[in-house]
Amino acid sequence: MVDITTEAPQASSDLRLSRRGRRLLVVIGVLVALVVGSVFAFVTFQPIQVLPRVRLAPGFSLVDSQGDVLTSEDLRGRFVLYTFSYSACETCESIDETMLEIQQGLDTADLRGFPVSMVTISIDEEETPEQMAEYAASVGADPDVWRFTQVEDARFLADVVAGGFGTYYEVVDDGSIKLDRSFVLVDGSGIIRNEYKYQTQTSDSERILRHLGVLAEEAQNSNGPASLAYEAAHLFLCYAP
Amino acid sequence: MTDTLIPEETPAPRQRFSWMYALVAVPLVIAGMVFWWGYNRAQPHQFSGAVIQGSTAAPDFTLWSDDGPVSLSDYEDKIVMLYFGYTHCPDVCPTTLTDAAAAIESLSDDEAEDVQLIFITIDPGRDTAERMGQYVAHFDESFVGVTGTEEEIGSVATLYGIYYRAGEGTEASGYLMEHTATLLVIDRNGNLKLVIPFGVQYDAMAADLRYMLR
Repeated sequence: MVDITTEAPQASSDLRLSRRGRRLLVVIGVLVALVVGSVFAFVTFQPIQVLPRVRLAPGFSLVDSQGDVLTSEDLRGRFVLYTFSYSACETCESIDETMLEIQQGLDTADLRGFPVSMVTISIDEEETPEQMAEYAASVGADPDVWRFTQVEDARFLADVVAGGFGTYYEVVDDGSIKLDRSFVLVDGSGIIRNEYKYQTQTSDSERILRHLGVLAEEAQNSNGPASLAYEAAHLFLCYAP
Repeated sequence: MTDTLIPEETPAPRQRFSWMYALVAVPLVIAGMVFWWGYNRAQPHQFSGAVIQGSTAAPDFTLWSDDGPVSLSDYEDKIVMLYFGYTHCPDVCPTTLTDAAAAIESLSDDEAEDVQLIFITIDPGRDTAERMGQYVAHFDESFVGVTGTEEEIGSVATLYGIYYRAGEGTEASGYLMEHTATLLVIDRNGNLKLVIPFGVQYDAMAADLRYMLR
């Protein structure tokens, strides 16, 4: 009789503890499921998309077709689209057409007020500013947006174009130049955010304009709590196609 | 009388209590540890500069210190802080080097052992290897100062996103250099990971270094 009265409360205590423990486990399980589910949904549906921070763009000093110096520091704080060409290039028409489409599309693109520059870097060391000016005019470049330039110190041309921007070119024995047609998008911190090898399957200009919008959206949300969501998008590789 | 009826020890219920407690506590502790691990791994560290995600190896180089040739590859398995400046720099370079020294100083000895700062001159005409060695020693004995030819320096600076240009003047009259003032951090895998702008305080740098050393 006495044994019963002393053991009963203990058994009841065990039961309560067990229930509490199970309830706690259920709560933890739900929380973990919610976190995992949220991450899964974030990665699957990608409500926020970003462009990868690929690598550092090179440092340089260029001279444009007006004879003005343009340095990598001058372009800080702007999104810059680079491409590589030269006035005697016979296969660069497609590059210039794409650049022109982008120049025209900037007016209607959703850039949230962020400034954009376009820079063509000549890979012909012998090119004169006059030749570049003529070339720029022939393709319809707006000098306020799209500048034709040359590396100021030709010794570093390969470092800038090939080493820094990763664009292959080669001066062959007959003096002609082999060039890998490409575009490189750089953000306001001087970091390469995407590289585009010229191809004809889809429109490079539409894709680049869309990517400029993605960059602008991220830059606008780069401060405050929203920046964490963008960092998460980088962490989970939610890259804009 | 009643006292004599109550057993002095009740081992069986006590064992059951411990067993049930363990059934709840062990999964809880494991879940807590998993959550804490996941939270720490998933929580993005707020770096003080721009983070580069690509895994392109930082370009190697060989330049000259007062102790002989120095290559980036000499410091495999260490975090390398790269800074481009010059010894006649009146403000930006000494400020950055002071902050970097304070950041390293605030790390534990083991952590500091795994960090190496290399100061690369962008003024090779005036900055000899000996002068570079003397200059960096003012900030931290572990710092390495290197110089090279104009071509070598120009090439390395270009690849690391550094622009520089000499201002008006001669070696006799003196001149200032205009240059990019970012501090670059290369991780232990040899990838350039962080670009710290000028003006970041030493404690923020130290937090970045600690995070990268984890």
